[in-house]
Amino acid sequence: MAQTAVLTKEKKQKVSLLQILYKHGTLLAILAVITYFSIMIEQFFTYENFSDILRSISIVTLVAIGITFSLIVDGFDLSVGSTVSLSTIASAAALVLYRQEILVTLLVPILLGIVIGLLNSLLIVKLKLPDLLATLAMMYIINGIQLTYTKGFSIYNDMPLPEGGIAPGKFIPSFLFIGQGEWLGIPFSVLLMLFLVFVSHLFLTYTKPGRLFYMTGENREAARLSGIPVNRYRTYAYVISGLFAAIAGIVLASRIGTGQVSAGAPLLMDGVAAAFIGVSVFGIGKPNVIGTLFGSILIGVLLNGLTMMNVPYYAQDIIKGGILIGALALSHIQKK
Amino acid sequence: MNELQMFNICKSFDEVTVLNGVNFHVKQGEVHALLGMNGAGKSTLMKILAGDFPPDDGTIMIDGKQCTFSSPLDAKKAGIGLVAQEVDTALFPALSVCENIIANEIVETKTSPFLSWNKQKQRAKELLRQVGLKIDVNKLVHECSLHEKQLILLAKVLSSSAKYIILDEPTAPLSTAETKTLFQIIQQLKAKGVSFIYISHKLGEIKEICDRVTILRDGKVVHNSPISDITIDEMIEHMLGRTYQSAKKEKRTLNETIAFEVKNLLIPKTKTTVNLQIRKGEIVGIAGLVGAGKTELAHSLFGLEKTSGQWWINGKKYTISSPIEAIEAGISYIPEERRKQGLFMNESVQKNLTVRLLSSLTNFQWIYSQKEEKMALSLIQTLKIRPSLPKITVKHLSGGNQQKVVIGKWLNTNSEVFIFDEPTKGIDVNAKTEIFSIIQSLAKQGKAILYLTNEFQELLDIADTIHVMVDGELVKTFSAEEATHEKLVYYSSGGETLWHKLPS
Repeated sequence: MAQTAVLTKEKKQKVSLLQILYKHGTLLAILAVITYFSIMIEQFFTYENFSDILRSISIVTLVAIGITFSLIVDGFDLSVGSTVSLSTIASAAALVLYRQEILVTLLVPILLGIVIGLLNSLLIVKLKLPDLLATLAMMYIINGIQLTYTKGFSIYNDMPLPEGGIAPGKFIPSFLFIGQGEWLGIPFSVLLMLFLVFVSHLFLTYTKPGRLFYMTGENREAARLSGIPVNRYRTYAYVISGLFAAIAGIVLASRIGTGQVSAGAPLLMDGVAAAFIGVSVFGIGKPNVIGTLFGSILIGVLLNGLTMMNVPYYAQDIIKGGILIGALALSHIQKK
Repeated sequence: MNELQMFNICKSFDEVTVLNGVNFHVKQGEVHALLGMNGAGKSTLMKILAGDFPPDDGTIMIDGKQCTFSSPLDAKKAGIGLVAQEVDTALFPALSVCENIIANEIVETKTSPFLSWNKQKQRAKELLRQVGLKIDVNKLVHECSLHEKQLILLAKVLSSSAKYIILDEPTAPLSTAETKTLFQIIQQLKAKGVSFIYISHKLGEIKEICDRVTILRDGKVVHNSPISDITIDEMIEHMLGRTYQSAKKEKRTLNETIAFEVKNLLIPKTKTTVNLQIRKGEIVGIAGLVGAGKTELAHSLFGLEKTSGQWWINGKKYTISSPIEAIEAGISYIPEERRKQGLFMNESVQKNLTVRLLSSLTNFQWIYSQKEEKMALSLIQTLKIRPSLPKITVKHLSGGNQQKVVIGKWLNTNSEVFIFDEPTKGIDVNAKTEIFSIIQSLAKQGKAILYLTNEFQELLDIADTIHVMVDGELVKTFSAEEATHEKLVYYSSGGETLWHKLPS
């Protein structure tokens, strides 16, 4: 009997150590990665570099917040990367090809994002297609649309037009400010990201609709029987996902100052990884926006450090995939 | 010596001791009842026996040989068979009856990778004959009824020549007739030397079918004897550790006002219509066997089925085609499958309790967390939910307390009508009493209560009026004074229909 007691005690201690690791593994990983790069790379631990990292994170985080919303209602949105691309092209086209001012330039991609979200929810909520496959198809369709529209060419200032002459408009300063400007020494895109993270967090944690998003994802049947309009909330989630992807596309266009085709494609994987890392942060076990922010910080730091260590971009995909698997495994263990 | 013996079995999870030196013996050709309240350790003991996890301490001997099971496969090879309560988890719904039955053999056969379907079908038919089931072996399992699935599972267990078969609440989903058939099959197999470990909450059945009984309480064996040496009251006493008092029904004079009425409600599955009236503060019971259409009736009332009819609540007319409309009209539904349909298992008790109340706890959609916690705490106290912690995750609660959470969700809402669908399914006697007193206090507040169940005794304990339901129709109505268990059984098993067929 006494032996069993000792045994249980030992076991308990072991378990609690492991639990700490599970709970804070993601944070420890971020710290470890930063420490490692700081030691290995001279220019890593500098203000310029960190502001650079944050700038690049800001776009991924916006995409990842959208994905987080779709995950919360127990859905999935693979089309966000293509939506970013389309939004980038749309804002560039509005500026360069149609000489529009800031308002239209922002409205067009945002409306496109919302329409894509509505289309996704039409397929998933109304027609009841599997979310992964429906958004996979949408991903290809949207990508195809932006490629067809541009015939595969990027949109840039003073670009020659196929019918002769050069493009009438250009990237205006007020638009470029979104991705390149600074406010109190902090990049505007970073401020925008932090603001949206903060607002989304408050919304999801402290408001009634936020709560109902989570309830819908946790048990759709019970939610329906509790009188929650589950289909409406699922629709909202996909629309929000499309909206955030559109905003990310605007920031991206502004950041690089051209409308690059398929620029958003790599963001899908980064965003998905960030959102799932977010599930494992703090051991919450549920998709959450603060966690998502930490997830994209981890990915941003890693990509930045690896680039500085001259790891080629194509090899970085291997590491991104590895991180996603790690985060999935961690959140799976936490659930047990 | 042909006997299954478990000696001094101990098992703890984290700090909680679930089994503390349990000795359990089952002789060959014996039906052995294993009794205990929820949390007494029955399931843990059976999971150890089925090889789900090893005990911390103790030995298992089968027919005189010591066994250690490191996987369910080991246990199966040693002759342990399990017919789980949730039969669907153990079958392949998209495969045929034949394929399900011989699945074990396919897995275990190492001689040839080729199957002779003729032989397999012969084998499956032979096994089905043993369990007394006449069914086409090519039928897909998801097309079978629950009762058929259970017997298919039993046939599957027999295919691996199991000598000790665990039946976990086998009659819970069965009608009286089906239960009878099952008992005949058990008797036949028993005569062939198969032993059964019989877990059930239905003590009358245990008296009928079992030879010996072992009763667990708090992880210890508190009683072991031949079944003839113990009465049902004594069983309950051993399980509870004290005498059980069945819910005393108070004499009540009912208000004559009709609170809830539904006219010509269509039950889509059986294409029948139902008319129903509930007075203010009345508890109306619907007695019906499994498959009588009770859940379909509840679903139709709550707007979950495409249906037609007229709803009248406190004199106002409604048409209801979705749960949202039903709730707005003032109907609450406590569903049969509480984990699947009633609860957010990974959320806290508080969030589960306040899901319908958020509007009153918010200002411009912002939730006041202190107000919310206060509301949750008061509900927890009213319902005696234990532990009384608003932040604990619902999945850590016992079945009875989970059920209280499901009910609690509706308590402070504007509900006038409460539909309870099998609210005591799988919960222990204590929790049942508490659920009853919650229902009675709702009735005292003047709510209209509809209580659907196949546990007729519960209706005799609690209902003011009892309707008997057969195949989607209300065939007979009793007042509380008229109703007896025998009458309910008679009419619900189609007695009345038989009567009509007799020449007058």
